[in-house]
Amino acid sequence: MSDRQAVRRSRSEIGVRVVWFLCALFAVITIFFIFAFLFYDAYPIFEEIGVWNFLSGSVWNPTGFPPAYGIYSLIVATLLATFLAMAIAIPLGIGSAIYIAELAPYRVKAWVKPAVELLAGIPSVVFGFFGLVVLTTWIRVSFDVPTGETWLAGSILLAIMALPTIISVAEDAISSAPREYKEGSLALGATHWQTISRVLTPAALSGITAAIILGIGRAAGETMAVLMVTGNAPVIPDPIWDVLSPIRTLTGTLGIEMGEVPVGSTHYHALFGVAVVLLVITLIINFSATIILNRIKRQQAPPASTGIPRRFPLTGWMERQGIFFRAHRTPILWGLMAVVLFAFFGLTGLGIALVLYLAVRYIPGRISPRWAQRIAFSLAALCIVVVLLALGIILYDILTKGLPYISWEFLTEPPSNLGRSGGILPAIVGTMYLVMGSIAIALPIGIGAAIYLTEYTSEGRLVGIIRTATDLLNGTPSIVFGLFGFAFLVIYLSFGVSLIAGQITLALMVLPTIIRTTEEALKTVPVPVREGSLALGASKWQTIRRVVLPPSVPGILTGTILSIGRVAGETAPILFTAVVFSTRFLPSSLFEPVMALPYHLYILATNVPNATGQQYATAVVLLGIVIAFYAIAIVIRHRSSVKYRW
Amino acid sequence: MAESSRRFTYAILGLAAVLIIAVLAAGCTQQPGDGQKTTLKVTGSTTVLPIAQAAADAYMDDHPMTDIQVAGGGSSVGVQSVGEGTADIGMSSRELKAEEKTRYPDLQSTVVASDGIAIIVNKANTVSGLTLVQLRGIYNGTITNWKAVGGPDQVIVVVGRDSASGTREFFWESVMKKENFTATQLEKNSNGAIRQTIVQTPGAIGYVGLGYIDAEVRAVPIMVNGTPVDATVATVLSGKYPISRPLLMITQGPPSGVAKSYLDFILSPAGQKIVTGEGFVPVA
Repeated sequence: MSDRQAVRRSRSEIGVRVVWFLCALFAVITIFFIFAFLFYDAYPIFEEIGVWNFLSGSVWNPTGFPPAYGIYSLIVATLLATFLAMAIAIPLGIGSAIYIAELAPYRVKAWVKPAVELLAGIPSVVFGFFGLVVLTTWIRVSFDVPTGETWLAGSILLAIMALPTIISVAEDAISSAPREYKEGSLALGATHWQTISRVLTPAALSGITAAIILGIGRAAGETMAVLMVTGNAPVIPDPIWDVLSPIRTLTGTLGIEMGEVPVGSTHYHALFGVAVVLLVITLIINFSATIILNRIKRQQAPPASTGIPRRFPLTGWMERQGIFFRAHRTPILWGLMAVVLFAFFGLTGLGIALVLYLAVRYIPGRISPRWAQRIAFSLAALCIVVVLLALGIILYDILTKGLPYISWEFLTEPPSNLGRSGGILPAIVGTMYLVMGSIAIALPIGIGAAIYLTEYTSEGRLVGIIRTATDLLNGTPSIVFGLFGFAFLVIYLSFGVSLIAGQITLALMVLPTIIRTTEEALKTVPVPVREGSLALGASKWQTIRRVVLPPSVPGILTGTILSIGRVAGETAPILFTAVVFSTRFLPSSLFEPVMALPYHLYILATNVPNATGQQYATAVVLLGIVIAFYAIAIVIRHRSSVKYRW
Repeated sequence: MAESSRRFTYAILGLAAVLIIAVLAAGCTQQPGDGQKTTLKVTGSTTVLPIAQAAADAYMDDHPMTDIQVAGGGSSVGVQSVGEGTADIGMSSRELKAEEKTRYPDLQSTVVASDGIAIIVNKANTVSGLTLVQLRGIYNGTITNWKAVGGPDQVIVVVGRDSASGTREFFWESVMKKENFTATQLEKNSNGAIRQTIVQTPGAIGYVGLGYIDAEVRAVPIMVNGTPVDATVATVLSGKYPISRPLLMITQGPPSGVAKSYLDFILSPAGQKIVTGEGFVPVA
C-alpha cells in the first residue's frame, strides 16, 4: 500500500466515522428539540397557575366554571396502569421467551416466533376496539361492577400489547447467549432448567433488560387503546388498589382532547403541560429501570455472590446499604412483595405471599431437580399458551367479523358515504407512504447510530449521553411525538398537516427501536472475530462492513420488522400531523394530507354509526398489509441466517 | 465471508430498490386533470362532519374537478381555522362565543341544520322519562341510583363527552346551567364511543346526536310540563323537544366561489335530504 493510498484510506475512515457520529448525535438533538418545543408550549400554563398547583390539583375540568387544571389524578392513574400491566406482562413475556428460545421443538418454534412478531403489528386501535367490546363486558359481568371500563381493562390490554415486544427481544437475547455457556453447564451435570435459570438467563440479562424497557415504554406511552377502555374519569381509585375503578391517564387525556382545542388557548397550553409531565414520568421510569437492572447485572456478572460483602472498606452510606441489602436480600424482597400483595388484595394477598414464601423456601430443597424442571417447563409452556390464546381470540374476532366485507371494490375504490360504503384505497396508499417514508428516514440513521455506539466508542461520557438520549426517545410516548410533530413540523415549520410531517414524526418514534435492536445484533458478534479481521490488515470500516454487519442482518431485520409494525398501526403520532378524514384523491406531493388505515379505523369506530362491518374489514386489511411486510422480512431473515455460531 | 458479505450487499440493494420504487410511486400518482383541481378545506365540529362529508361526496360527484377535504377537530378548531384562514369553511355545533366574535369580526355563520341531543340509556333500562332537573342531578352527581328517578335499583354510570367537545359545552350550558359535572363521569371523545358504552352497560346514561339513536339503545323522553317528549326530528322541528341547537358553517365574510356553491348545495332540497339522511333536522 502506498502512502497516498494509506492517507486516502484513513481519510475515508474518518469520514465514515464522522457520518456515524452524526447519526448517533441525531437522537440527542431530537430529544432536545422535543423537550424545547413541548416546554415552550407548556410554559404559559405553568406561569398562569403555577407548577405546583398544576401537579397537585386534584380536579381536571378545563371547560368548567371556573376552569380547573389539576393533573394529580392523571399522574397517579398513569403510574398505576403501567405498573399493573408490567406485573402481568413481564412474567408472561419472559416465560414465553424462554419457551421459544430453549424448549420449543424446531417446528413449533418456526411457527410461534414469527406469529409473535406478527402480533406486534396489531394496531392499538384494534386492541382498543376489541377491549371496548369484549374485554370490558367480560370484566363488568364477571366482577359484577356497574361498568367494565376500568384500570384493570386498561392494564390487561397494555400487557397484551407489550408482550410481543418483550417476547421478541428477550428471546433474541436468550438465543444469542454463547453456546459454550450452555454446553459447559450441561457438561457439569446441570439439568436443562438449571442451565436456563442459572446460566443462560443471567447471560442474556442485558437483552432482557432491553426487552423490559421497550415494553414499559410501550405501556406507559400507549394512548388509543387505553383511552377506549379506561373510562377516562379523572378520579383516583378509592381505595388505591381498586383495580375496578375507572381511571384517566395522561396519554388518554391528550388523545381525546388535543384534537379539539384551539391553538394558543389556555387549555391548549395545559395539554402541552400534560405532555411535559408525561415525558418526565417516562424519563423517570426509564432511568430507574436502567439503574436497577444495571445493579442486578453487576451483581450477577461475577460468580454469584453469596451474601458475603466482596468489597471493603465501607466507603459510604450507599455502599453500606448495598451490602445490607445484599446480605438480607431475600427477607427484604419477600417483605416488599408481601406489602404489595397486601396493598392490592388485603388479607388474602398476605395469605398468598405466605403460601408462596413457604413454597419457594421449602419446596426446592425437597423436590428433585428433575421435578423442578418439569414444573418450570410446564409454567413456561403455559405462558406461551396464555399469550397465544389471548392474541388468537383477538385475531379470530377481527377475521370472522371483517372478512365477509372484503371485496375487490373495497380495496380499489375511494370511500363514500362516510366510509360506510365504497372502499379504502386512499387509506391503504397513505399508510404505505407513511411506512416507507418513515423507515427510509429512520433505518439509515438508526443503523449508523448503533454502529457508532458499539464499534467506535468505549463507554465514555458522550456515549453515555447518547445512550441515555436513545433510551429517553424510546420511552417517549407516541402521543408526545404527535404533539411535537404538531408543534414543530406542522405549526413552526409550517408544513401543515401533511404526509412529510407524519413520516418524520413516525421516523423519530421508531428510531430508538432500530438503534437498540441493531446494537444488540452487533454485540452478539464476538470481539475475537473483529480482532482477527483487523489483524489481517482490514481497516475498521472494512471490518464492520464485511465481518460485523453480515451476521447482524437478521437482528437488524427483526428491529425493522418491529418498526414497520408499529408505524403501520400507530394512530396517535399521525392524529394531528398527517391525516385527513376522507379524500378521494391520492396525495400528489409530500405536503398534502393523506388518509391512513389506523386513523380511518378509529374514525369509523368512534364517529360513524352503522359501519361495524367496514371497521372490521379495515382492520383485516391493515393486518394483511402488516403481515405482508412481516412475511417479506421474515423470509429475508430466514434466507440470510446462515448459521453463525461462534 | 465473501458469501455473507454478498448477502449483505443484496439486502442493502433490495432495501434501496424498495425505497426508490416508493419514491417513484410517490411521484407517479398524478391525478387525471390534476392541473385545474380546486380545493376546498372544511374543518371543525365532528357533529357537523357527517353532513359536510356526505354533501361533499354528492357535490364532488357533480363537480369532478373539485376536491373538498373534510377534517374534524371540534367546533373551536373550526372557528379558529376559518378565522386564521387555514380553512375555507369552519364547522361549529355551537354559536360563536363573544371573544371569538371580537377576535374574528368578519366571520359569518350559515345555519345548515339543527341537532337534537338525545338522552340515551341501555335497552334494558325501564325508566319512563326524565325532567331536565333530574338530568342535571344525575350529571352533577346528586342522583346516583336509577331508583331515585323511577327506574330499577341500579347504580347510574354517567357517560359524557370530553372537555374539548362542543356538544359537552352546549349540554353544560343548556342542561347543567353551568354546574360542574360529577368527577366519576366516564368521558368519551365521540358520539359513537358514548353509544358503544351505553349498548354494553346496563346502568349507563349518555347524550348523543339524534343520528346515533338505533335499535340497540333507548332514547329517554324528556318530561316537559309533565308530558313526555320523544327525541325525534319532528319534535325538534316543532320546537317541543327542549335540548336542541343549530349547526353552523362559518365563512370569512359572505361565502363566495366554490364555498358558496357548496353551501348552496347543502341548503338546496337535495342537500337537506342528505341532512335528514344523516339523522339531523333540516332547516329549510
